[in-house]
Amino acid sequence: MAQIFPKWSNRIPPILAGALIVVLIGVVGFFWYYGSPQYTDAGYRPEQPVPYSHKLHAGDLGMDCRYCHSSVELSAKANVPPTQTCMNCHTLILTESDKLLPVRESWTTGKPIEWVRVHKIADYAYFDHSAHLNAGVGCTSCHGNVAEMEKVMQVEPLSMGWCLDCHRNPDMHLRPAGEITNMKWTPPADQLDIAAKIKKEKNIAPPVDCSGCHR
Amino acid sequence: MKKSSIKLNGKSYWRSLNQLADTPEFRAFLEQEFPEEASDLPAQMNRRKFLTLMGASMAMAGLVSCRRPVEKIIPYVKAPEEIIPGVPKRYATTMPFGTDAYGLVVETHEGRPTKIEGNTKHPATLGSSDIFMQAAILGLYDPDRSQKVREKGTEKEWADFVVFWQKLYPEMISRQGAGLAFLTTSSASPSFYRQQLGLQKKLPGSKWFTWEPVSSENVRNGISAVTGEQLNPTFDVAKAKIILTIDSDLFLSEPGHLSHARGFAAGRRVQSEKDDMNRLYAVESAFTVTGGMADHRKALPSNQMHRFVFQLIKVLKGYAVNLDGIDIPPEETKIDQKWIQALANDLVANRGKSLIVAGSHLPAEVHALTSILNHSLGNTGNTISYHKPRYENFDRAEDIKNLVEEINGDKIETLVMIGGNPVYNAPADLNFKEVLQKVPHTVHLNEYFDETSGSAEWHIPQTHFLEEWGDTQASDGTLGVIQPMIAPLFGGKSPLELIHFLAAGTQSTGYELVRETWRSILPVTNFEQNWRRVLHDGLFADSQLVKQNPKFDFRAVNRMPASETVSSDNTLEVVFRPSPAVYDGRFANNGWLQELPDGISKLVWDNAALMSPSTAKRFGVKNEDVVVLEKHGRSLALPVWIVPGFAENSVTVYLGYGRTAAGRIGNGVGFNAYKLRTSAEGGYSQGMSLRKTIETYTLTSTQDHGSMEGRPIVREATLDAYRKNPRFAREMVEHPPLESLWEEHSYDEGYQWGMTIDLNACTGCNACTIACQSENNIPIVGKEQVRNGREMHWLRMDRYFKGDMEDPEMVFQPVACQHCENAPCEQVCPVAATVHDSEGLNVMTYNRCIGTRYCSNNCPYKVRRFNFFNYTNQLPEIVKMAQNPDVTVRSRGVMEKCTYCVQRISEAKISARKENRTLKDGEVISACQQACPTDAIVFGNINDPASRVTQMKRIDRSYELLAELNIQPRTSYLARLRNPNPDLEQS
Repeated sequence: MAQIFPKWSNRIPPILAGALIVVLIGVVGFFWYYGSPQYTDAGYRPEQPVPYSHKLHAGDLGMDCRYCHSSVELSAKANVPPTQTCMNCHTLILTESDKLLPVRESWTTGKPIEWVRVHKIADYAYFDHSAHLNAGVGCTSCHGNVAEMEKVMQVEPLSMGWCLDCHRNPDMHLRPAGEITNMKWTPPADQLDIAAKIKKEKNIAPPVDCSGCHR
Repeated sequence: MKKSSIKLNGKSYWRSLNQLADTPEFRAFLEQEFPEEASDLPAQMNRRKFLTLMGASMAMAGLVSCRRPVEKIIPYVKAPEEIIPGVPKRYATTMPFGTDAYGLVVETHEGRPTKIEGNTKHPATLGSSDIFMQAAILGLYDPDRSQKVREKGTEKEWADFVVFWQKLYPEMISRQGAGLAFLTTSSASPSFYRQQLGLQKKLPGSKWFTWEPVSSENVRNGISAVTGEQLNPTFDVAKAKIILTIDSDLFLSEPGHLSHARGFAAGRRVQSEKDDMNRLYAVESAFTVTGGMADHRKALPSNQMHRFVFQLIKVLKGYAVNLDGIDIPPEETKIDQKWIQALANDLVANRGKSLIVAGSHLPAEVHALTSILNHSLGNTGNTISYHKPRYENFDRAEDIKNLVEEINGDKIETLVMIGGNPVYNAPADLNFKEVLQKVPHTVHLNEYFDETSGSAEWHIPQTHFLEEWGDTQASDGTLGVIQPMIAPLFGGKSPLELIHFLAAGTQSTGYELVRETWRSILPVTNFEQNWRRVLHDGLFADSQLVKQNPKFDFRAVNRMPASETVSSDNTLEVVFRPSPAVYDGRFANNGWLQELPDGISKLVWDNAALMSPSTAKRFGVKNEDVVVLEKHGRSLALPVWIVPGFAENSVTVYLGYGRTAAGRIGNGVGFNAYKLRTSAEGGYSQGMSLRKTIETYTLTSTQDHGSMEGRPIVREATLDAYRKNPRFAREMVEHPPLESLWEEHSYDEGYQWGMTIDLNACTGCNACTIACQSENNIPIVGKEQVRNGREMHWLRMDRYFKGDMEDPEMVFQPVACQHCENAPCEQVCPVAATVHDSEGLNVMTYNRCIGTRYCSNNCPYKVRRFNFFNYTNQLPEIVKMAQNPDVTVRSRGVMEKCTYCVQRISEAKISARKENRTLKDGEVISACQQACPTDAIVFGNINDPASRVTQMKRIDRSYELLAELNIQPRTSYLARLRNPNPDLEQS
């Protein structure tokens, strides 16, 4: 009987299959990376309503993180400071500055400043700041060197895998209590010994069960 | 740990478009879907270059949306000193309920109340709660609450009402209040009382009427008839060894039910064979939870209760109990003499330690007789105490009749109604709605623009008790203050503020009014300190009333109007009871309560004509048949629901349904029994005729059967049988030694959470169900979905009947996730959304769940609930304020179940960790445990040999549900014991 398909069409199925596999791998790889928090969240540096510079306040002026983020050792949530905290100094300092206009407006009208949230995990995961600070995890371990940031940027992906990497092996990230807000801290040579001591003293056992964070 | 680094300076591969957004050019470029220059081609541009640029920008524009949406953080402007964001604060307050009050502790998040608990210091609650207290939080955030003052239905402002009243006021003063009348609900509030007195002095011509559809007036009248004094009774059930309830739902519907249930359970905590139990006899017309707890129960129509009491008196006289001077009519009930003899034996053998209580709806004569009986048996001052009223504003059934008469006689110019809903619930024969139209000026203060407000001239929104200042008095006299948890959400005035304005013509705040009252209550020295102590504790310590020692005149009972029994084979008695869910109708718009399955009938979202199987057979009706109950031209069509154990020819209809102006939840739900209720027959109506119709009405019941299908799910025995074989519960199921196919985890380190539920103490009140719903953001799904078996309650109350259909026994069992160590659900989840954690909890991770529902399929207890629809995204914003922020709100397609309150466990563990210590027993209390008034639920660390839960699990009555499947549940039950009278022992 007559041949419908020319001979060269024999090569089509394997080439198609090969192409399909490549495409599938490509698509999966595409979403694996571009869909991950490493891509979508790390590097997020939104525009804020007030051009507040951590580099100036926390870096050059040396203010401690906890002066503004006062509930971080007491509560699950680290608060963004109320306008009152800004006005503690800025009723006297730079009282005419244009950059501080939204702050002064907020203070006089009573309407709060609407900051854009930078670090956020999913609603179904519950993170407790005070537990981490109590254990000895420093601010920079998760937030990066904020004292160098003109505009706050999320440096870590804050994905579940990233959290678990530390939960399963926290040694390199445990600091003595006094070093928690030290922006320039790096693990010293005997970090593993120090960490072992901290773990023993504070009975540190970071949860790796689902119920540790998912409620 | 790999730390992925990003170079902030110098060259780095951009991760997200926002990084590039730093440079103005790229930012401008990216913000536009089409770059500005795209429309006109630049000089060097050719088609290929253009397409490349376009393609790149389109691709990048597409990826712009790959970032999460912008979320804002809104801090305070001036932060309140005492609030730490993220840490809930708890404040004490009280909840007024008629002439009683419940002490509460309310958990607030950043100034927003989210969960109500009982106040451990307050005698009315002692830390526990009931469904009305728990569901009150939803009532606060009800979007159907009235938000505006209205004049004849049009929205106005409070200032308009002020103008209106100030026009009337001078004339009112000159007439000394003649023509002014107040219609209020009952209350027990020192401030309200002071205002009443003040009003009487300032406007002596004004009149005060009080109306409550569900009333304890007969109790008070009965007592006053035989003692000559106005007295209030309170019961100490813990001291009673023999309890007789006469048509009284002592543990659920009667005032004071929380402390009664608690006292009852205290007498039934059997830890070993050496312990004793109290004994409960119940004679009732409907099946109530009290009857379910009874060791002996007889069904008897309400209209024959007085005959039963006379029968008992006759028998007791034979035991030389002093009951002289009482005329005993000859008619008897069909309760056999043997039963009454046995009861009398018990009562006589336990003088001073027995208690006889009659239902509030029974006639005053019955209450007079029971107080006489209690007194003769030596109970006065022991199990029953009497107190003089202090700040109560009692309701009188005569009041509303007199008011209607006065209105018809054109004597009332201005009627102010404070709370209540008389157009809906006043006796049908008074035609209150028409009568109200005759009054020239009417004002109604209510939280909702309800039926009465629709007929009134002015409606003023009332504040919810969680938003107002006020004060209360509990039934034993303990005084408390109501302090607001949040500023009034919709404006609104409290009753105190309104009355002050009406009486004085000037405005004052609730805060000032309450403080003024308390200046005369608290000691003069250190007022501020004492005031703050009262606010902190939630009550004024040692303010309870002194017990009285009344003198009884037995012969007085003969002069009381005699109760009648109209018995006939063709007519019925219809008993009007407050609904265990919506009470007298005030909670009709509360979705949690409407969806709560009724303890006995398991009906949701409706009421029905509840009757016994034999009554239904006699009239030839079956479930869901619509019948018409009729008497003297008043009729009500409603469906039938058959419940075993109801009395012959006695139909119970719950009040509080059939509302037309309750709100989106309550409108049109159920059938309005107030249409049948007249002023002469408020408790029960005799001689009702029942007419069948051809219609049917779909009723939804979550459990229309009462059978355990041959499996020993609730295990029970008599006390004697238990003493002979203490381990009877475990031995009820024979099974071979339980072996596992795989290596089991050894849960012997750290905290291991477990729970026991004592079936001897559980009365089936459902407080745990609503508490769980409040704590865990559990949605309501509506009648149709419940009909499909999709109700979302994590904790359900199963109810089983045992024995004869006409005279059964009833048992309750609360069932939630058992947190099995070898959980069948965990083994079948394809995505590992439900796993076990190292502390023994079966954990549910909502984001992993893809909704195969295989876990629910595999669960032998069927405690897993699936979100078939998105029940939460359509919630009005204000209802979302009631949600607990510590618990995930679930979306569609996700399975959920009891988590042993993992959020509470985490909170406690973190606090303990911060203080570098381990958790103590009792620090973690699950929501259900906290609500339970009888302490039936105990939760804790089973790895701690000293914890309560470990002790409870060691009790020999303890067993696990379906343990023979080797799933090793962490929740165990303590088998139910009955304590029957040996004379009445049945084989």
